[in-house]
Amino acid sequence: MPRILVIEDDDVTAREIAAELTGHGIDVDRIADGSEGLLRAADPCYDAITLDMMLPGMDGLSVVTRLRAQGVATPVLMISALCDVDERVRGLRAGGDDYLTKPFAPDEMLARVEVLLRRHRPQTPQTVLTVADLELDLVRHVARRAGKELSLLPTEFKLLEFLMRNAGQVLTRTMIFETVWGFHFDPGTNLIDVHIGRLRRKIDTAGLAPLIHTVRGSGYCLAQND
Amino acid sequence: MIYGVFFALWGGVVIGLIYWQAASYLGRVSDELIGRQAAYFSMLDEPTRLRALKDYDTLETRRLNAWGEFDARGNYLSGTITALPSHVPINGAVALLPEGVSRNDVSGNDHGRVRAAAVRLRDGRVLMITRDTSIVDRIGTIVLQALLWGLSLTVIPGFLGGWLLSRGPWRRVHAIRDATLPIMQGNLAQRLPVGRRGDELDMLAGIVNAMLDEIERLLGEVKGVCDNIAHDLRTPLTRLRSRLYRLQQQFGEGSEEAAAIDACMIDTDALLDRFRALLRISELENQRRRIGFDEVDLGEILREVHALYLPLAEDRGQQLALELPVLPLIHADRHLLLEALSNLVANAIKFTPSGGRVEIRARPADDGPWVDVVDSGPGIPPDQRDAVIRRFYRTESSRSTPGSGLGLSIVSAIARLHGYTLEIAGSDRGAQLSLHCRAARAV
Repeated sequence: MPRILVIEDDDVTAREIAAELTGHGIDVDRIADGSEGLLRAADPCYDAITLDMMLPGMDGLSVVTRLRAQGVATPVLMISALCDVDERVRGLRAGGDDYLTKPFAPDEMLARVEVLLRRHRPQTPQTVLTVADLELDLVRHVARRAGKELSLLPTEFKLLEFLMRNAGQVLTRTMIFETVWGFHFDPGTNLIDVHIGRLRRKIDTAGLAPLIHTVRGSGYCLAQND
Repeated sequence: MIYGVFFALWGGVVIGLIYWQAASYLGRVSDELIGRQAAYFSMLDEPTRLRALKDYDTLETRRLNAWGEFDARGNYLSGTITALPSHVPINGAVALLPEGVSRNDVSGNDHGRVRAAAVRLRDGRVLMITRDTSIVDRIGTIVLQALLWGLSLTVIPGFLGGWLLSRGPWRRVHAIRDATLPIMQGNLAQRLPVGRRGDELDMLAGIVNAMLDEIERLLGEVKGVCDNIAHDLRTPLTRLRSRLYRLQQQFGEGSEEAAAIDACMIDTDALLDRFRALLRISELENQRRRIGFDEVDLGEILREVHALYLPLAEDRGQQLALELPVLPLIHADRHLLLEALSNLVANAIKFTPSGGRVEIRARPADDGPWVDVVDSGPGIPPDQRDAVIRRFYRTESSRSTPGSGLGLSIVSAIARLHGYTLEIAGSDRGAQLSLHCRAARAV
């Protein structure tokens, strides 16, 4: 069972995070103070950390900086009330792995934490990703579904790689846009849906079991249906 | 200027009047003089008269006056005048002879204008006395010269002085006009220059500045209230959205309740999007720093934006074309520029009907490249072009289209942050929105 340290001084937010995570089978420890949080965060029993930027004792930016200086590699999700782009850049530069602004939807937070957990799990460097009969060769840049080669555009390849690396995981539109394109703004309308739609038409062709699923109200998930 | 002309005219009239008065007075004096002389000489007997006339000649050193005696038929007898002009009345009245008289004491053809008086003597002879009026003419010349000198000495320094005096205020008015331009473009932090003189212009500038302080304060308050509302409403809205989400998970897909909850979630998302955009604009407007600024390749950004939106345009049955010449690097924030251009393209796609065409065209210019986004939609009426970049403004015809109505406000805020300009053109066959990536001025 994965274990997560929540460093958050606002009780309401902390409870919200804890409720969402425990509801999905994740153990949660809560700390409200920055310097105390830094001590606990060094414990290798944690699989990920959510870290508020504004904390008593020591601010989140210093916590993550010290943590990285100590050689602790536990993934950190920075949570801040500031949606300033500069703030995000600073948080990620200091060693944060992802950044979320308050107020956030709990499912968005959960999705981001789960991606961090998966990234943290020791995995042998893969050159071929496989989900059911879908294969993605990262070295030769080839995608195959049921043995048939698919012709993908570079963006579609990147999108599929992100979905496959996090197979079984709900990925929100914002996460997809931020990770695949590296942009941090609201692309408007149904832009991501259109891109997913294109990829879906290439992968889930008629007669094959669909692999890309729309998660109502959240985003998308690539998985083999049981 | 108008005063200068008026002054010159008035001076001319005054000096002209002096000339006219002096000339007529001198004319009258000389007329009286020669009339009297003629009457006097006519009363003397011949020997006395001839002697007196000779003396008169001797005394007349300046050769202004002349006389001549002629017989009854007008033939020359004696004197300095050698011919009797035919049209002189022989009754002592003074007449003007513009062509002068021929004289034997003055060499050459010096036939100046003369005034003449002729009388018939008792023995039937005719005596004519003339007086050269060139002295009056000369006075006229002197007066005229005085007039011209006077005019040139008053008018030229007058104009020069006037120009020099008006140049200072003119320059200051120009400075004020230059200072108001950014204010009109929305930079309310700008103030009019106030000098140390404390004159009328400074007082006016001071009043306007005080007014601007107040406007800025009020606008800041309004904006602050807007931002606070947006900020404060986001938390309960987010909570509402999570509750809806949890509720949605409990109902199976396809049920009536799930559909209703879906609709609620879509509305909540639209609201959240709007608040997010609103806060984004105020964040952009407050951003004075330029930490993200670097040399960026505009062409690469345009290619990315084109690739990002091409599937969307194709899904809507539109063509999305990219025209990209070689462009120089520009100094900008890559992410912000991407956001601005994405918004422009998304906006164009949104308002272009199916089967339409959207073009992204870049063109280099000396003062920085332009990016035109041209669509074949309904266009933006000229009277609404300023309004569309205002927050929340949407043209009448676009009310039914989904969106926050803040896309162009975001573009405009990003443009302002960069010192770029956003121009809106086009016709009813499509809009053209142009972003001018003006080379950054020294900061």
